[in-house]
Formats: sequence, C-alpha cells, structure tokens
Amino acid sequence: MKKLLVLLLLAVVGYSLITAMMGVKFGENRLGDPQDEKTVSAYYLNNTTQKLSVSNVITAIVVNYRGLDTLGEVSVLFLASLGLGSILYRKHKEGEEEVAILKPSSQLLQAGSKLIFPAILMLGAYVFIHGHLTPGGGFQGGAIIATGFLLMMMAYQDYRVSHSVLVWVESLAGITFAGIGMWGLLLGNTFLENFLPIGTLNNLFSGGIIPIIYIAVGFKVAAELTGVLDTLLNIKDKH
Amino acid sequence: MVVSPVHFIAVPLLAAFLIPLLAKVSKELVRIVPGLVIGYLSVVSVILMTQVVNTGQPIIEVIGGWSPPFGINLVFSAFTGFLVSLMTFMAFLIWIYSYRFKKIDDAPAQKYFILFMMLVTGSTGIVLTGDIFNLFVFMEITAIAAYSLTAFYRDRDGAEAAFKYLLIGSFASALMLLAIVLLYSQVGTLNMAEIAQRIHTVPQGMKITIFTLFVVGLGIEAEMFPLNGWAPDAYSQSPGPVGVAFAALVVKAGVYSLVRVVFTMFDIHGAYEFLIIMGAITMVIAEISALKQTNLKRMLAYSSIGQMGFVLIAFGIGTNAAVFGALFLMFNHAVIKGLLFMSGSYLVYNTPSKEIKDMAGIGKKLPMVSFFFALGALAIVGLPPFSGFWSKLYILMAAADASFYYLMGTILIVSIIEIVYYFRVMGRLYFGKPQNDVVLQKPTLGGIFAMGVLATVIIVIGIHPDFVTGFIQSAADTLLDKAGYINNVLQLTNL
Repeated sequence: MKKLLVLLLLAVVGYSLITAMMGVKFGENRLGDPQDEKTVSAYYLNNTTQKLSVSNVITAIVVNYRGLDTLGEVSVLFLASLGLGSILYRKHKEGEEEVAILKPSSQLLQAGSKLIFPAILMLGAYVFIHGHLTPGGGFQGGAIIATGFLLMMMAYQDYRVSHSVLVWVESLAGITFAGIGMWGLLLGNTFLENFLPIGTLNNLFSGGIIPIIYIAVGFKVAAELTGVLDTLLNIKDKH
Repeated sequence: MVVSPVHFIAVPLLAAFLIPLLAKVSKELVRIVPGLVIGYLSVVSVILMTQVVNTGQPIIEVIGGWSPPFGINLVFSAFTGFLVSLMTFMAFLIWIYSYRFKKIDDAPAQKYFILFMMLVTGSTGIVLTGDIFNLFVFMEITAIAAYSLTAFYRDRDGAEAAFKYLLIGSFASALMLLAIVLLYSQVGTLNMAEIAQRIHTVPQGMKITIFTLFVVGLGIEAEMFPLNGWAPDAYSQSPGPVGVAFAALVVKAGVYSLVRVVFTMFDIHGAYEFLIIMGAITMVIAEISALKQTNLKRMLAYSSIGQMGFVLIAFGIGTNAAVFGALFLMFNHAVIKGLLFMSGSYLVYNTPSKEIKDMAGIGKKLPMVSFFFALGALAIVGLPPFSGFWSKLYILMAAADASFYYLMGTILIVSIIEIVYYFRVMGRLYFGKPQNDVVLQKPTLGGIFAMGVLATVIIVIGIHPDFVTGFIQSAADTLLDKAGYINNVLQLTNL
C-alpha cells in the first residue's frame, strides 16, 4: 500500500515536471531578442568583447558579471573539504595498528603515472590560465590537476601530499580572490569590479582581473579536491 | 573605507580563507577572529540600519560594476536590514556562548568556528541578495556548513542526523535549481526585481509548477510540514550552540526566501491561503508532536517548527498588521528560542539521552540556568510581561481584523498545548525529585553573559515593545511595497 502511494506520488510529480519541461521550447530563443539591449543575454553577447575584451563570454559571465556566485561556489567547495576534515577526524590512539585500504598497484601503473603526471598538471594549468580565451577555466583546470594527484595516490600507496602546503595554497588562492574583490571596493568602485587594463582581445594578457581570478580559482579547486581525496583515502581500517 | 552591505559577505569570506594561516601563528586566533568579524558585522548592520531608517531609502549595492539585471546586486532595505541585524546580533551572542563551550574543545574544534562563521555568512547572504541564483549559492553555503556542524560530535546519532539532513537538503537544492532553470527559461533573467516585473507573462500552468518547486525546495529549509523530517534530529544531535544558530539564523533565512518568493516574485492567486493552510497544519502537528517528546532538545525542535508554522500563518493573512506580527514573532522566536536552546543545553549537558526526566530537581542546583530556561518558557508561550506576548497578540488581532475566526481558535488551542508541555518541563525542573548521580555542568562566563543579554531583551521588549516596533513596522511596510522594490532596483539599470 505504502509502495503504491509512493509510486502514485512519483507519477504525479514526474508528469507535472515533464509537462513543465515540454513547455520550454528547446532550440527556440526564449532568452529575449538579441537586438533588445535590455535582455540579459543580449547584453552579455553584445558587450563582453568590447567592455572586457574576453572572447569566452561564459568565462566573463562566470567570473565577472556573476563573480559573486563564483566566490560563493569556491567557498562551498572550501566548506565541503573543511567539513569532511572535521567529520572524518579521528584521534590517533596508542597502539592502534592501521591498515591501508588501497591494494598495491602494478609496476605498469606506477611507471606510467610517473610519466603522465607532469603532463596532467601541465594540461590543468593550461586550461585555467587560458580560461578567458578557450573553453574551460578554473574549476575544470583544478579538477584536472586533482585527477593527476589521484593517479599518483593510486599508483603509490605511500604517496603523501603535504597538508601544510595544501592549506597554504588553498588560503592564498582564496585570499587572492576575495582580496581582488575588496581591492575594487577600496579603489572606490564596487566589489569585484575590474580595475586592471583590459588589454586587446584574444591576447593572453587581457580581460583585466578575470585571468587572475581564474588562476586563483584553479589553484584553490586543485588544492581542495586533492585535500578531499587525501582525507578520504587516508581513512584506515582498524586492525 | 565606507561600510556597505557587501561587507557581510566579503569580510567573513576573506577571514575564512585567512584563518587556516592564522592557525599556524596561534590556535587562539582561530576562536577570536570569527568573533571579531561577526562583531564588526553587527556594528555595520547598526550603521546601515540607521542610514536606511533616516533616509527612508533602501541601500542597493551593485557588485562587479554591472548594474542590476546584468550583474548581482544586494538589497539592504528596512526589511532585509532588520533580519540581517537580528541575525548578526544573535550570531555574536552565539559566538560568546560557544567561545569556551567545553564539548568543542579538541583539535577539530578549530574548524567549528570557521563553519559557524560561514553559516552566518550564508544566512545573511540569502537575506541580502537580490538575485535568485545568488540566493541558491548562499543556500548551498548555509546548508553545507549546517550538515558539517550537525555531525560535529562524530558519534553515530549525529552522523545519522547529518546524513538525513544531507539527503533532504540536497533534494531541496535540486528542486530549487530546477525551479530557477525553468524560471530563467521563461523570463530570461535572474534578478528578483525583474522576475517580479515579468512574471505575469509566464503561462499559468508553468508558473504554478515553478512556484511549487520553489515552495517545496524552500519549505524544507523553512521547516514546513511535511518537509521538516530533518529538523528534530538535526536540532537534537548537533552541538548546543549550533541548535541556537539553526533556530535563530538558518530557519529565518528559509522563511525569508519563502516569503520573498510569495510576496515579491510571484503573483499567484491563492498563494496566501496556501501559506495559511500549510502553516496551520505545520503548527498543529508540530505542537502535538512536541507534547509527546521525552527528549528536551527534540521537544524544543518541534516547538520551533510549530512557531515557524505560526509565522507562515501570519504571513499568509497578508495584511500589514499580520506581516508586522509575523516579523515581530520571527524576532521573538530568534531571541526566546535562542535562550531556551542555550539554557536547555546546559540542563541536559551530561545526560547521554537528553531526557526531560533527567532534569528533575536541577532548578535548585543550577539556579541561574534554570531561571533563564523558565523565563524563556514563559515568554515563548506568550505570557503577558514578556516579549512573546506582544507578537502573539498582534497576530491574533490581525487574524480577527481579517475575520479568520477558526484560525484564531486553532492558535489559542495550540497555545494551550504549548503551555502544557513547557509547564510540564518547568514542573520537573523545579519540583521534581533530584537525582544524585547526574553530574552538572556549570555554564561558562560567556554562556551566562549571552543568556543574560537575551533574558534582558525579552523582559525589556516585553515591558516596552516600542524599542523594536518602529523598525518592524517599517520592515513590514517595505516587504509589502512590491512596486517600490522593483522600482528601487531597476532604476539603477545602466546599459
């Protein structure tokens, strides 16, 4: 009886959601007339290249127009890794034997990961440094770098990332982001407002504060995800 | 530097990123800095509130140099400013209360203060922002801080409560995101003022679907029935100060966003009646459940849910007087439930099951804490010399003016239930037979100070409500002035 009720409820919810989704005409422009300057999307498309000289409009939206959201998302990640650290914290008891949960890996994986690890780091750095020019950005680049560390952790059982270094990277990157925002406020403008020359379109050094913020985000995301992986992989079984 | 609303977000975030480095200098800084930040924010909220009241105009701050519909903006009006001042004030007292709270004294305790500060930032951010997606981001910050704080003792029950909260909370986030996606596909903007301006162009069926998704998503945070299953567990398993923060900040932010959606963003016919019905069901069921509880913190949690139902009823009546009463009740609930959770935590401090029967006879052994608890209990049921009386009176008068007589009857009957279970606890506390084996925990100096301030507020507002009614009245006027909100935000549009 209970199961039947749940199924019925799910059917009703599913039906109403599908009807709503059908109401959104995919492919049709529902976001306003690009000629009408007052709609948000038209404004972004028409102004980004001139006002910010950033060719990747999405990056401009994420880091500049809606920079406060990105600062918030970065803090969500920060909080998640912090919360995980506080929940999984365990006092080390005297005489407690600990056994690693990971099995030893093969020679092939060990040799291969050593080779590929620097390349992964390089790709990650490339993605977040060029976030304002090509698809990708700080979050993607940071995640790529974290996968590199994950590979190393899986290949070498005793591979350790210094928590002290992670804390420094994480904090300095966060301070850079929030500090740039505050600097805009101190200069008499608004929070997170661009105060650097915007340069010429499609150059590496263009877009004002956008690349700096994205590089900080890249470092921060990489450090946080690596920290989360390290915390999770270091839960040891009690013997 | 001139103070501005963005300080409520920027300063604590900067501090949160700085604290892990400060911890390398001195462990004590980890405790002190969040307090300094929250104290600073209380000062900022007072300065800005004075400015808003004197000029009669809200402060609308643009972020990133992009004017309203294109960038994100913060709105510090008489309404949001009132809630933010209340939240920062309560947060500061909670910080003082938890400064030497014994159970958070070991190594990960350092993380407690950062998480707590971010909980405050998230809640104030929800209230301040004028952008619906930004509200979602702050809701995530609040929620993730809240999950971690719920599981902070790292015991089995705490983990269970946090996991329950995590599942329901993630569900809420998903629904809310879906609602935002659908809304954006219809109106092409995320700015709440512009959404309010364009909502009448959305087809009725779609509007109701989006509205329902919002109400379910936000109702979970606002502890609305039947979405409040997480609340009793989370309240009873989290550390004492965190329970206070849930009642004083997190729930308030949830109710705020629900009210913002109903009053400002949408224009759905019948939404107010819906609030009344849901509020009444929430209130009746929660208060009856509270009557059955044997665990003190669970009882307080159900009482908290009941009060939120009462707030929803008052908002649902929708007249100026009712909204005034609702905001007054939110103020009172934050202060009084704060005092109850703070003193209650000490009354059941060392008993493993936190049962009400374990409190028997403590009244003579911990006279100060018991006095504070009794004061809070008398105030929350709405007895005359205390502040709780006024909010209940105003809401009942508003209900009478709008001729909701059944509602008045329900509220009065529920009040009797409330009196029964609070007086039962007080009877145990003062006239029960003392158990000798319970080891009592003396409150810290900060704890006594925080409870003393709250008790003073309850008595002073009870005798002289004029201290706050002026602010609450202008807050109620601001909330109901939808055209004014739209106009104030969108006049800044600059192509």
